[in-house]
Amino acid sequence: MDFSTFLLQLNDAITSENGPNLAYLLRPTSPHGKDLVKEFRHHTRESMSRYNGAMQSPWDEIAIQYVLVCAHIAKKRYIDAFKEDSQLVVLFLRFFTENRGWTLPALFSILRDLRDLALDADVHAKYHNQKSDCMEESARIITKAFGSCVTDRTSPPDQSRKWGVYYVVGLILKCYFKIKRISLSKNILRALDANTDIPRLQLYPRSHQVTYRYYIGMISFLNEEFAKSEEELTLAFYNCYVNAHSNQERILAYLIPLRILKGHLPSKELLTRFPVLYELFSPFIDAIRTGNLKAYDAALDKWEPRLLELNLWLSLEKARELCVRCLFRKVWVASEKATRIPISLFHAGLTISGDDVSMEEAECLVANMIFKGYIRGYISHERQMVVLASTNAFPRVADRPNALANI
Amino acid sequence: MSSSASTSKAAESSKDTEPKNDAQAHLGVLEEDDEFEEFPVADWKDSDTDLAHLSGAAPGSAKSGGDKLWEDNWDDDDIEDEFSVQLRNELEKTKGASTATARMEH
Repeated sequence: MDFSTFLLQLNDAITSENGPNLAYLLRPTSPHGKDLVKEFRHHTRESMSRYNGAMQSPWDEIAIQYVLVCAHIAKKRYIDAFKEDSQLVVLFLRFFTENRGWTLPALFSILRDLRDLALDADVHAKYHNQKSDCMEESARIITKAFGSCVTDRTSPPDQSRKWGVYYVVGLILKCYFKIKRISLSKNILRALDANTDIPRLQLYPRSHQVTYRYYIGMISFLNEEFAKSEEELTLAFYNCYVNAHSNQERILAYLIPLRILKGHLPSKELLTRFPVLYELFSPFIDAIRTGNLKAYDAALDKWEPRLLELNLWLSLEKARELCVRCLFRKVWVASEKATRIPISLFHAGLTISGDDVSMEEAECLVANMIFKGYIRGYISHERQMVVLASTNAFPRVADRPNALANI
Repeated sequence: MSSSASTSKAAESSKDTEPKNDAQAHLGVLEEDDEFEEFPVADWKDSDTDLAHLSGAAPGSAKSGGDKLWEDNWDDDDIEDEFSVQLRNELEKTKGASTATARMEH
């Protein structure tokens, strides 16, 4: 495809309001990108400026930018490619703000490409020991696109640019997660909250919903707002495309520990679908089921580096109390569910499990279990005796109210 | 001499850590740096999600609520497993000991 054909096709896509085709034409990986690079091998921005006016503004400039981006990519000049692409996006936004939602497929595609180029640029710079903050810059540019989406006050509802809001926010969050500057998400989320006239999330395509909920779930998880995180990740998981296996796996990696804390253990049926998660979590789950504190601690120890890396250490360390609860329940069952059990028996249970604590600490652990609602009863300190409720002394963990709020 | 000693020690310790590293290498799929991937399609039906297995139950409601992916009734009273047997033996001993102490006190 030569440049004049390229311009013609751009023009066709615009006049026929064909968003997917426009996206295709502006994608640097499309085959015509290579053709154009060949055609303009020895050209510079200056020599190309004669094409200004070849099409209605800003499309003449966008077409030139496109060629420049492709040329830099072909020469592996990723930082330059990113810079030229940033300009392409800014020019596109001028067109975008004056048009309706048919342009969204093209917007999504060029923002995705911008982010990919930012990633290439940063990786390339890092490899050469250079400083580069293209990813952060790309988040800033994508935030402009967010502005152009939410401010659509004229398009009819079904053709509104507002249908791009959640996809764009998802992309911005993805940028911040990549550079581990998650606190920067606050601004965009605040801006999203401030716009009350956008359609409900459930009305958006599922890919937008799931990605958005995943990131909100992750942000809440990292802020230790576990109840909110569990809610968002649950919806993300159940609405996720089943063929997107690694996305489901990623959601579950964080959802499973939260569900465990709630007393909902993943079934075999669920875990066998995700061998990696099975390998990681089953030692903890088996230890909880059997009250085997020794095995639980061994699993914590074995997986510590990975758990820390994945930010899962804290939640599984907290879930250890479920294992203690089940150990105490085993003591109770072994005592034929007596209503009076000496603290020394709980102490013995802990000792067998390799938890070498003093009698006072054992008493303290029992007191904690009672306080947290895992055990119904009280402690007679003078008699060193735990007096248990005659019915439902060990309520199901799943029945504990506000389990995730009180961690 | 000292160098050969330290070499053998190093060899030993690397042997110790090997199985651990191997086990964790399997988790390569779940890397910290992995991204939530772009979906291959924009939208899909209930039948392409895990909602399909729920037959109307609330997502995440667990088995008693009709969601078989999660178990909420998992307490078991089985005391024949190895751990429980060990526990019971120990409890018998402790019981015996505390009865003996009580006798001695009288």
